Amino acid sequence: MIDFEEELKKFHPSLEVEDAEEAIYNQDLTDVTDLFVNMVKEVTVGEE
Amino acid sequence: MICYNCGYELSEKNFCTACGADVGLYKRIMYISNRCYNDGLEKANVRDLSGAITSLRQCLKFNKNHVEARNLLGLVYFEMGEVVAALSEWVISKNLRPEKNIADDYINMIQANAGRLDSINQTIKKYNQALVYCRQDSKDLAVIQLKKVLSLNPKFVRAHQLLALLYINTEEWEKAKRELEKCRVIDRNNTTTLRYLKEVEIMLTPDDGVRTKKKKSTSKNAVEYRHDNETIIQPIGIKEQKSSSAMLNLLVGLAIGVAVACFLILPARIQAAKTAVNEQLKLVGEQSDAKTATINELESRINSLQAERDSLGEELQAYLGDDGSLEAMDELLLACESYLKGVGEEDETQFMERIATHLDNVAAQTELSQTSAAFQSVYQFIRDEVNPKLAGVYYTEGYDAYRNGQYETAIEKLSGAYNYAPDNVDALFYLAGACRKSGNVDQAKELYSQLVELFPDSDKVNKANQALEELDS
Repeated sequence: MIDFEEELKKFHPSLEVEDAEEAIYNQDLTDVTDLFVNMVKEVTVGEE
Repeated sequence: MICYNCGYELSEKNFCTACGADVGLYKRIMYISNRCYNDGLEKANVRDLSGAITSLRQCLKFNKNHVEARNLLGLVYFEMGEVVAALSEWVISKNLRPEKNIADDYINMIQANAGRLDSINQTIKKYNQALVYCRQDSKDLAVIQLKKVLSLNPKFVRAHQLLALLYINTEEWEKAKRELEKCRVIDRNNTTTLRYLKEVEIMLTPDDGVRTKKKKSTSKNAVEYRHDNETIIQPIGIKEQKSSSAMLNLLVGLAIGVAVACFLILPARIQAAKTAVNEQLKLVGEQSDAKTATINELESRINSLQAERDSLGEELQAYLGDDGSLEAMDELLLACESYLKGVGEEDETQFMERIATHLDNVAAQTELSQTSAAFQSVYQFIRDEVNPKLAGVYYTEGYDAYRNGQYETAIEKLSGAYNYAPDNVDALFYLAGACRKSGNVDQAKELYSQLVELFPDSDKVNKANQALEELDS
């Protein structure tokens, strides 16, 4: 049986057009490639 | 694929041929990223938009610079009605690859139409408001707001889902199912949609426990059918009461209706009619007053115009003779005629007097200053010719009469002499003397005074003063 209140909590307000700019700036764009490159750099620095 | 270290194009080797960096793992990350992209593309092709979103987001987690994946993710968001999320992905994509990027077209498509962008924003605001209504337990308002949202943006999956949830909450299973079916057309494998749909289908299944009983009980007592979007339950087996009281009820109802009409409706209507008539009367009265004022004004104007006309008529009559010609002009013409003809057979004095009489008539009948220059010129010319001669004749005759003691004649002639020659101080002196001798003392005193005043340098002044003293004593 669906619990209305619980289901309602899963719905979040949608971003408005005015907030798009802020959302873009705040988006975390770190990817696995970044992590890998950082790791490689750390390893290289450690070896040196 | 390029080297993460130096940016050189990578070969099939597991190291960069330019800088020697180990790129084996890096290549595997890129392959996984591409695989996720392909997976997302396949899912998007079969309208599994939620699955496509998951795969594409995974792709971007491995490689944030995957522009195609980002563009496709934006497109999927846009298809699901998440316009701001779509715009965000396209903007980031555009920043990653400013040239030859399809995201540019997508962004322009939305931004070129300001009305559409505004409509999208309104949709989002209404959705958020609907969510607030839900949390405030104003579910009816939320339903209305969500219907508006979906009329503006029919592909907004989350709005469909929320509306379905509200219908589920109010046990409107059919409506909920319709909304969820719409969701499924847009996004086939959305987990939330499928979960709600499963619940709704369970509730709509005839074998279900409680609801079946309810339905059965309903089906015993009523016939259920659908008309457009509404489910209509019509009770059966309820017989209408047929009795003779029906006619009585009808009559009673009729009587009540008539009574209401008489006591409630009619007085109000009569009052309204009276008010309307009064308004009309007031209006007519105002119009009548205005017209009366206009008539009075016109009458006074007529009177003033009539008075002006009479005055002008009299003035004109004064100019006109009995035969309708201008008398003054006639008199002047007669004076001219007499002057031009000359003395002829008559006495010169009579000749001069006749001309002078005509000129006097001209002066009496018209205002010389208002006549034309030609008129005045002719008049003055004849006057200058006649007056000195006539004055001389009158003075001679008057002086002779004075000497002979004929004072009345002297007064008459000397008056004429002085009249036609106002600078003749002798005429004035002897005229005063004639008046004195004839017993007209007041006239004599006035004439002496006039002489003293007008001709102070004359040799007659001393005599005039002496005469005045004598008259005063």
